[in-house]
Amino acid sequence: MQYNPGWNGSSVNLLHVRAVGRGDTLHYVWSSIGAPAALLVATASGSSALRLNWTRLLSPDPTGAVWIEPASSVVYSAAVVFTKVFEYSQTKMLEELFYPTYDLSDFSWDSVNGTLNHTALTAEFKGVPATDPGGSFSNGSLAFRVTAYEVGGRDGPLPSLLHTANSSKVEFVLAGVAPRGNSSRFALEVAMVEEPGVAQKLRSARSIDDEYTPTIFEMLSLVAESQNDSSPLSFLQWKATAYGSQTPRREDNIQCRSHSLQAANWSLPVSSLVHAYFGEGVGSTYTISAINISFGGEDGQVYQEKRYLSWSVLLGFGQPPKDTFSPLVISIMAVALGTPMVMLLVGSCVVFFAQRKRYSEYEPIN
Amino acid sequence: MTSVPCAAAAAMAEEERALLGPAGRQEDGGGSAATPSVLPAACDPRRLAHRLLVLSLMCFLGFGSYFCYDNPAALQTQVQRDMKVNTAQFMALYAWYSWPNVVLCFFGGFLIDRVFGIRLGTIIFSIFVCVGQVIFALGAILNTFWLMDVGRFIFGIGGESLAVAQNTYAVSWFKGKELNLVFGLQLSMARIGSTVNMNIMGWIYSRVQDLLGYTGPSTLGLTLMIGGVTCLFSLTCALILAYLDKRAEKLLCKEQGKTGEVIKLTDVKDFSLSLWLIFVICVCYYAAVFPFIGLGKVFFIEKFKFSSQEASAINSIVYIISAPMSPVFGLLVDKLGKNIIWVLCAVVTTLASHIMLAFTFWNPWIAMCLLGLAYSLLACALWPMVAFVVPEHQLGTAYGFMQSIQNLGLAIIAIAAGMILDTRGYLFLEVFFSACVCLSLIAVVMLYFVNHLTGGDLNWSAKKREKLQKAAETEKEI
Repeated sequence: MQYNPGWNGSSVNLLHVRAVGRGDTLHYVWSSIGAPAALLVATASGSSALRLNWTRLLSPDPTGAVWIEPASSVVYSAAVVFTKVFEYSQTKMLEELFYPTYDLSDFSWDSVNGTLNHTALTAEFKGVPATDPGGSFSNGSLAFRVTAYEVGGRDGPLPSLLHTANSSKVEFVLAGVAPRGNSSRFALEVAMVEEPGVAQKLRSARSIDDEYTPTIFEMLSLVAESQNDSSPLSFLQWKATAYGSQTPRREDNIQCRSHSLQAANWSLPVSSLVHAYFGEGVGSTYTISAINISFGGEDGQVYQEKRYLSWSVLLGFGQPPKDTFSPLVISIMAVALGTPMVMLLVGSCVVFFAQRKRYSEYEPIN
Repeated sequence: MTSVPCAAAAAMAEEERALLGPAGRQEDGGGSAATPSVLPAACDPRRLAHRLLVLSLMCFLGFGSYFCYDNPAALQTQVQRDMKVNTAQFMALYAWYSWPNVVLCFFGGFLIDRVFGIRLGTIIFSIFVCVGQVIFALGAILNTFWLMDVGRFIFGIGGESLAVAQNTYAVSWFKGKELNLVFGLQLSMARIGSTVNMNIMGWIYSRVQDLLGYTGPSTLGLTLMIGGVTCLFSLTCALILAYLDKRAEKLLCKEQGKTGEVIKLTDVKDFSLSLWLIFVICVCYYAAVFPFIGLGKVFFIEKFKFSSQEASAINSIVYIISAPMSPVFGLLVDKLGKNIIWVLCAVVTTLASHIMLAFTFWNPWIAMCLLGLAYSLLACALWPMVAFVVPEHQLGTAYGFMQSIQNLGLAIIAIAAGMILDTRGYLFLEVFFSACVCLSLIAVVMLYFVNHLTGGDLNWSAKKREKLQKAAETEKEI
């Protein structure tokens, strides 16, 4: 985990997370230069490295400022950009009334340096709009909390997503931001940049297992698949819930809905990192698709009361992890179902022998 | 609200005794020739029209308490949102109802027989129910959750004893005539009360919300107040019934009804293993049904994406099914005997339905209908078994004890279920309920073998029972 490699200063944020495996390296590059974005690069070399040209990166045309060495080792690369936050309220007539959108590329971001935790592998990108005429952000902020993982496992706090060592988690947090309406709801726009020949698919899986995320049965995943052999290359995975508390409990759950995935034919807001890596081809050679995630159920009251919203999503390479039944559930069911069966067998035997004994006692009468 | 099958079974057993006793079948409309009829049919206590009036009053006597018992289940989302409580706290509403009844089951009969008398007793219990519901609603209006708990506690003091009083009235007016039918009707009425509650409270809440223009504790409180009107209605029934009973007493010189329950706690040490096993079956089984229904509505909304109305409907299907099926299964078990096999069937079916709800996304109507059938069958087969394993003079104690530990079980399991749901989710909750049913299954299997090895009569067919009864009678005559 490296902060602003090769640059002295913390006015801009760039975080490089490197996961080295046997014969391959995964690079996660997080940056708030422009809209907050994450660059995911998988390489087939154990010693591939990220190279940056800072003067170029901070210039108006950053093309080619970020690259991986050796370039031939790059197997796959993609980017996730968090572009906008919408705020809207639903009127009685079921019309959606939109307030002016918060464009995340216009935010000013605090330095990540102070929030870096090298043992827990976390960092926080926290920002407020550069101009905030309504004063909504006077007591609040918007943040992306990034967590990298060294080993596979499961998060402690809800939604307790299962993760592998190859994945990272980002948590979208809206804290203390004043809503501009009585029943305001928020939605986050997430855009993905993919290489040619890769298609994004949104999958919603309903699982019977809600043990780790109580009462949430729906798991959504956005998987980038190679069009040749539909093998999964990267994924975003999240549970259909957000939480309205810093220490999330079941009752803080805020409904989270995903709208359909759309091919974005609009130009991506200037996210320097993406342009710096992919160059001019973004939007043409490299396809962009976007999805809106909205928070809040029929009445958007939970946020109004708590003024807090956090939504977690897992990013990673390959196949998204799958939940399985916990050993506890399996053992309870096995004992609960097994005992009556065993008793039935034992009981039958006892009765059988008791009867034979009784008959045999009468036999000698002969 | 589980005392009905018990009390009904106790009274049924009592009626059986009355039928088998030396007096034999009572003459219909006893003493009708003695006093010349000068009253119109509806006012004459000997005439059918009047008895039907009394019957309907008896049925509505329990309506209010059954309606309000499941108010929390019908309004779970609203209660949790408006009062800002977690599921464990929510389920405490059910636990608080059960706590007083852990003790009160032993004294309900005593209070009616020795202290208040049936008429005053019924009125007092109805007042408890009303006051309890009003405090429950006030707690919501004042946004103090502990007051709601207090309300449920007071409501519980009245509710269960009121059911005993209701049965006592039924025995006193209909003994030797249409008693089984009357019990059946009362039970059906109770189920209708619960069903109506499940399906209407959400609607009332939304109307109150429209009226006030917002949701909050006061919306909830007002809704519960409106629900409390049914309790007032039941109180009115209790008052009228007391008047009519008094009047009938004067006109017919009949005695005030008594439960005839004798409770001697020292009898507990004489209880047989079979009886203890029956207790285990009872506690574990009901613990997996009532707390589940308490949490059911939101379960169907969250797991199966049901709309609020649909969820209410499916959550009340157990009650809807048991209303018509209880008499049918009662008759079936009476005719065929073999109670343990029926209990086994009911428990296995319940287990299957819980497993279905836990591990599949199959249409939950299937599982809930199965649960409804199993629940009705169990009530008909389990409760009468007590009469077979306990000498007659201990019957009151046995039923009282059974109800008491059932309430204890319900209270504990309700809170546990709430806590499990908050921390582990629905899958684990259903696994927990399945485990409870499995415990009950183990007890049934054990009961079968214990009964088999000790040569008990629990699993005899009705024919064999009849034959042996005849043999015993002829033996006595000789």
